[in-house]
Amino acid sequence: MRRPGRAGLLYVGGLVLLVVGAFPLFWMLSTSLKPSAEIFATPPRLVPAHPTLENFDRLFADTAFATFFRNSALVSLATVALTLTVSALGAYGLTRFSFAGRDKVAGLILVTYMFAPVMIIIPFYILVKQLGIVNTRLALVLSYTTFCLPFCLWLLRAFFESIPLELEEAALVDGAGRGGAVWHVVLPLALPGLIAAAIFTFILAYNDFLFALVLITSEELKTLPVGVNDLFNATIVDWGMIMAAGVMITVPAVLFFAAVQRYLVQGWGAGGVKG
Amino acid sequence: MRKNAVAGWLLLAPSLLLLGGLVVFPVLYNAWLSLFDKHAFLPVQRFVGLGHYVYFAHDEEFWNSFGHGLVYAGATLVLQLAVGIPAALLLNEGFRGRNLLRGVVLFPYVIPTIVAVILWKWLLNDSYGLVNHLLVAAGVTRAPVAWLGKDWIMASLVITSVWQFFPFVVVTYLARLQTIPPELYEAATVDGAGAWRRFRHVTLPQTRSVLFVIVLLRSIWMFTKFDTVWLMAGDGGVSRYIRTLPVYAYARSFTYLQAGMGAALAVIMFVMLIVATAVYFRVFERQEALS
Repeated sequence: MRRPGRAGLLYVGGLVLLVVGAFPLFWMLSTSLKPSAEIFATPPRLVPAHPTLENFDRLFADTAFATFFRNSALVSLATVALTLTVSALGAYGLTRFSFAGRDKVAGLILVTYMFAPVMIIIPFYILVKQLGIVNTRLALVLSYTTFCLPFCLWLLRAFFESIPLELEEAALVDGAGRGGAVWHVVLPLALPGLIAAAIFTFILAYNDFLFALVLITSEELKTLPVGVNDLFNATIVDWGMIMAAGVMITVPAVLFFAAVQRYLVQGWGAGGVKG
Repeated sequence: MRKNAVAGWLLLAPSLLLLGGLVVFPVLYNAWLSLFDKHAFLPVQRFVGLGHYVYFAHDEEFWNSFGHGLVYAGATLVLQLAVGIPAALLLNEGFRGRNLLRGVVLFPYVIPTIVAVILWKWLLNDSYGLVNHLLVAAGVTRAPVAWLGKDWIMASLVITSVWQFFPFVVVTYLARLQTIPPELYEAATVDGAGAWRRFRHVTLPQTRSVLFVIVLLRSIWMFTKFDTVWLMAGDGGVSRYIRTLPVYAYARSFTYLQAGMGAALAVIMFVMLIVATAVYFRVFERQEALS
């Protein structure tokens, strides 16, 4: 039996949640489209009266935003590719071959997930410096891959385990090599897991601030978070331009996320996203 | 499954190489480093034993940072639960637009930290921010509040962080809510239980273990949070009113260039987390045994 007012309560609650979740982002978008006179007007207007792209123009003309953007994209995508490859190989090894100490190794891999980056950033920096790769994109890719690996390995291990061995053996009997069996049978069946791992990795790499702050020193290698934070160093903070930067950073993240969201729920269920 | 140790190890080799070289080795090296006075860039180092640890025991800045960390992790945890659990309960009900709303709620968690921070810095801007405008217009305050000044910066940091991370609570809690058998609610309703009693006697017991995990993970992650805290106030100015241990460790290492000191702070944080986690598990086990 429905009590009167229950539906009303739900919609009020839903509306509050909608405002909390989406309004700040709407406000960012609205500000980014306002000419500066409107940005600082009192009372502020919800929707720009004279929408303009001048903030975006300044962002691309006066700052190295395009470079930061390119660096972020390169680093994030390379991280996704490397993480998926390494963790798929590892997960396959953990599920398709039996050897002494296998489960111990899997457990130890999970333990490494406990270490927050900030707790090892100092030796990490010294190590990267020793390796001679400080201030390179490679250093970032390796850092992010390492920190995504435990989660992705465990996620893919769970997916690979659920794929019956018989399917793979049938492909082998049919004359496919082991590589062929993996490529045509195992990977397609594990696709939701691979996608969830890819999203998790992309979000982590695209979001990272600490490694980028410590490992990258030259302007032309900076990624978005550090590059955009530098915009605050100006004597007069250009809010319109900063909001435009926020919009530009958000778009790929939200698009990427929206495209594959349904897979993410599975991934989240399997282990949670760190952060 | 075939017995083939070589192939198994070979496939695992890249993972083990990365994790061993870039996590396990740094962790051990970090502990070793904490016993030295070491410059962050120059290859100068001098053995000081437990000197850094003794130093921090009497270091006012250390205890301030520890206190800030407790306030920050505690306040954000409580508020994330206070916002996240009702939101999850709401999104577990059936109504039009629910699936869209489930997606929207995830926004704050999906956008990068830098965006969350610039967004709230703008909303909370003292002269032109929307929040101050609304507060003054509604007559809540007569003068604009200096949200990013020393008195309010911690509150602003907490607001920003809760907004950014409450979706994690929503998603995790909601996932568990969806697996509660409807029969339990039906039985409770037949017994005449109202909404509150159904929550108290069905939902809460069913979600105890997921709450255990949420509280554990979120406390650890908030206590070790670096980027949101650092981005909020940077290195100078009012940053000392929100400086937590991770930020202090960063400052020691990369601002004062005292890598050994920074390493010692990392070890201290690590030990704190281990101890807190162990205590937490104990308490939970005891409660489990009682109920």
